[in-house]
Amino acid sequence: MKRHLPWILPVVTGALLVTVWYALKRAFHIESFVLPAPDEILTAAWRERHALISAVWLTAQGALLGFLAAVGIGFGLSMFLAFSIRIKQSFYPYILILQMTPVIILAPIFVLWLGQGLPSIVAITFMICFFPVVANTTMGFISVERNLQELFVMCNATRGQEIRYLRVPGAMPYFLTGVKIAGTLAPIGAITGDFLAGSAQNGVGGIGFMTVTYFSQLKTPALFATGMTACLLGFLFVFGVNLLHWLVLHQWHDSMVRKE
Amino acid sequence: MAAINPPLVRLGRVGKRFGTGAPVLEDISLAVDRGEFISLIGPSGCGKSTLLRLIAGLTPVTAGEIVVDGMTPQNAREEIFFVFQDANLLPWRRVAANVELPMMLRGDHTLKRQERVRAMLELVGLSGAADKFPWQLSGGMKMRVSIARALSVAPHILLLDEPFGALDEMTRDQLNEDLLGIRARDPFTAFFVTHSVAEAVFLSTRIVVLSANPGRVHRVIDVPFPYPRPPELRETPAFLQLLAETSHELRAVRH
Repeated sequence: MKRHLPWILPVVTGALLVTVWYALKRAFHIESFVLPAPDEILTAAWRERHALISAVWLTAQGALLGFLAAVGIGFGLSMFLAFSIRIKQSFYPYILILQMTPVIILAPIFVLWLGQGLPSIVAITFMICFFPVVANTTMGFISVERNLQELFVMCNATRGQEIRYLRVPGAMPYFLTGVKIAGTLAPIGAITGDFLAGSAQNGVGGIGFMTVTYFSQLKTPALFATGMTACLLGFLFVFGVNLLHWLVLHQWHDSMVRKE
Repeated sequence: MAAINPPLVRLGRVGKRFGTGAPVLEDISLAVDRGEFISLIGPSGCGKSTLLRLIAGLTPVTAGEIVVDGMTPQNAREEIFFVFQDANLLPWRRVAANVELPMMLRGDHTLKRQERVRAMLELVGLSGAADKFPWQLSGGMKMRVSIARALSVAPHILLLDEPFGALDEMTRDQLNEDLLGIRARDPFTAFFVTHSVAEAVFLSTRIVVLSANPGRVHRVIDVPFPYPRPPELRETPAFLQLLAETSHELRAVRH
């Protein structure tokens, strides 16, 4: 029994919440366009399945491309920033300014430059994801233990060797923390991007676009179903980055070993 | 003979200060011949670790000079290796890969590297641990890996900065004996920083007692016991006598 508690408990809680949901809806006679019942949401999800699958696919593309660009460019930029303290001092304030500018203001600028659609969505996702990667990875590159650095000095290691065999592996835990944060932000970024700069092809846009559509038609159950789909996409990303984290670190890093 | 062969390491009136602070080390002169085992001992803050770092060329002298085999410490780096206070292993590399690291950075051939890693791990008694990660090892085992890594490039001079300071006494005695055993097969000149008088007497040919503020050579004590030194040496009257004398000198500089 004790062994099964980890999955029994959340299932029981879920059943309870659904019961409360039905009870409230019935007790206060809440209309379905305000609060749909769970079964109405599932029905709507099934009815709109083609639209939702296309939407999630479109949004996933934006999220993945923006995420990969943020991870790749963020890693490269961090290496550049960590190369010398002067370079970091010169550039970091401007990276911060970029981060501080709200996406809602950047979005129309991107639309002006790149047009409605995927390129703008990727750009917006990138803007949301890239700062956590840069901040964490830069920190990782510059916080190498002095003793290990001196070991490389004693070995007459070249600058390139030091980066490849000491700084890059040493920065991995930091980098992957940045990647994890970026991974949770990417779907949100892509949906926001789609909401602000999305376009519809054959009447089907991304998740953000569908949200606007369903809302304007007061298709509230479908709106909830869209939320559910977005949630699934988010979980998929989190699972992906957690898997990567585990793959790279599980054999040696403190956060993964010595549990016993 | 001694007049013909110049010393392997010569410190001439070496001084060190950091920035504009008070001098850490002052007027240190010492000539060390090939094959010697020099222990540096003294109260904490006497600059013994700094002296080791000067010989390694990790930080420059601010007075006097250090000559290692006719070169500056920086230029003599290929002959020197450093064993750090904690084992200082790369946590993401397995034991064998850690031992291999200095040879790899030097550009040795892969086959030669593998052969040498195997030999070094056997030398320190860790053949079975080649595929383990550092976190899977005890403190004593990590230190053995660190020593194997240092010896892999066959340095002429080994600088050891309190390598066994964090270990329990039994492990420490064992590693002391092993270190002498390794040195009998793979001779190197050693500079050994320690807090333990017993360790210094057991290992060294000479013990340099440093005084603090600033660090100066208080006395150099000769250790006359021949090698190989059996563990039982520790219980002989002559050993205990020298132990007492060294402790006495250490008390004199502690005030």
